[in-house]
Amino acid sequence: MSSPARHERIVDEADAATWITDTMTIAIGDPAPMAIIRQIIRRGVKDLTVVGSGLALDLLIAAGCVRRTMAYYVGGGFGGAVAPSFRRAAEQGEIEVWECEEGILTTGLRAGAQGLPFLPWRGGVGTSLPEVNPDLKVITDPIKGETLIAVPAIEPDVAILHAAVSDAYGNVQHCGGPGWLDLFLQRAADRTIVQVEKIIANEEVRSDPWATTIAGADAVVRAPYGAHPFYSRGYYVQDRAFTRLYVEAATAAAQAGDRGPLDAFLTRYVLEPETHGDYLERVGVKQLIALYEY
Amino acid sequence: MPTDEMPTDEMPTHGAATGFDPATATRQEIMATFLANDLQDGEILQIGAAMPVGEVAVRLAHFSHGPNMELIFIGARMNAAHLDVLPTPEFGWDRRTVRWAESFSDTGHRFDRVKDWHRRVFFIGGVQVDAFGNTNLIGVGENHRRLRFRGPGSVGTSTLSTLVGRYHIVLNSHSARTFVERCDFISAYGWGQGGADARTKLGIPGGGPKYCITPLCVMDFAPDTKRMRLHSLHPGVTVEEVRANTGFALDIPDDVPTTPRPTATQLEIIRTRADRRGALRH
Repeated sequence: MSSPARHERIVDEADAATWITDTMTIAIGDPAPMAIIRQIIRRGVKDLTVVGSGLALDLLIAAGCVRRTMAYYVGGGFGGAVAPSFRRAAEQGEIEVWECEEGILTTGLRAGAQGLPFLPWRGGVGTSLPEVNPDLKVITDPIKGETLIAVPAIEPDVAILHAAVSDAYGNVQHCGGPGWLDLFLQRAADRTIVQVEKIIANEEVRSDPWATTIAGADAVVRAPYGAHPFYSRGYYVQDRAFTRLYVEAATAAAQAGDRGPLDAFLTRYVLEPETHGDYLERVGVKQLIALYEY
Repeated sequence: MPTDEMPTDEMPTHGAATGFDPATATRQEIMATFLANDLQDGEILQIGAAMPVGEVAVRLAHFSHGPNMELIFIGARMNAAHLDVLPTPEFGWDRRTVRWAESFSDTGHRFDRVKDWHRRVFFIGGVQVDAFGNTNLIGVGENHRRLRFRGPGSVGTSTLSTLVGRYHIVLNSHSARTFVERCDFISAYGWGQGGADARTKLGIPGGGPKYCITPLCVMDFAPDTKRMRLHSLHPGVTVEEVRANTGFALDIPDDVPTTPRPTATQLEIIRTRADRRGALRH
């Protein structure tokens, strides 16, 4: 008599994006899970609260998906100015900024993961952060009487990440270790989708269980080059020519009020390609294979 | 991209007579040298992205007198004292730099152990800097919901400025728009509203901002009031120029020295090893 089979967790990027609905809180990791982000935009999801950073978050704002950001840095990265769509939307009051900071965001995610209402953090005492973000409470600790900041639990509905490999059951292994806050996003979120460069055999995972960085992602999406135009450790470097295309188009929209180039960019690279494969064809093989490590 | 703008065939090795004449040091090279001279062997340098003066300062100190320093780029911690050059990363996981790492940490786990952060030094920028060394990366305006200028966000500066042994404010320009009496918003607490106890009375353990350095001058904080004062003028800069470009009343001592130029040896390290691409020569 055979036992029932274990469920595989592989879905495609369009199915994964159906997990995201209006007004949810989502967390997007770094490297950015761009294959799924593009599908979220194609679905026209609105009023998201997004834990994220940088240009991936900026693209979601440009596409009109975001009501609130929970981010401590939304810049172009490495000398880039403030990300253009974020800057414009924040200045116009079109999005709400849940003002925070690296240590504070990490603390809130930790509280979320541990089922605590809050955790204290010292970084930010004396700053304007508790004034501009009333969710952050200045407290006197009951043990030593020190002044600290109580950071409320952050619990995203869905965390969306990009990693190197996973098996069909969501056992994810990063190349060169996990980056940014990805593990904290996964721990705090109700559900996690991880898109990967490659799906590997379960036997391969079992051969090195210590390498498993996320045990049991709820869904796995096969997305080679899925972080493009951003880097994916061990696979490819950032496509700076492509991110420049976006920044120029978004800057024209934000500063000169000319949405033409931005709409053309979104149409060509986000709305028209139905699948991740279609997107990669638009970008082109030559451009993609030029992005290998040095 | 040229990796070495120096004509290597004729590359001289020492001193004024051979082409590393201190008189040719740019303002930014002088800034980097000043910061490098402040850094001590054995310290841990948390290095932000795209801050060329700070990046060169750290490399200069590491190569010239700090072989036991630890350099942390994003989460890549390394010692590069054995290298001739250490490239500047161009994005978050630039292999040309992080391949020298001895250990990695993601952003979140970096906060698991902060009890040795008094050994760390870092450099901070800001869209506003005020008379007591508070800095603002949030934005400019009266109403946080409708800022006139939205800044990039606090990054990790609120926590770093709270915990590290000391830090320096480093700006690429010196203007009355940036230097204000009081920041519209404070993302990193420096010396608050002043006074030697501005930090201890809030229980903030870190040592606070020590120097503020710009293309015009070096400033520090008076020990009793912790108000910013002029420390030295870069060669060729006048007190009037600094005063005119500072939006608050800067304390100016009677006798203001000139910021020292790099020595020929330091300039050689900068131009051939710490800043081969010449980011500070433009």
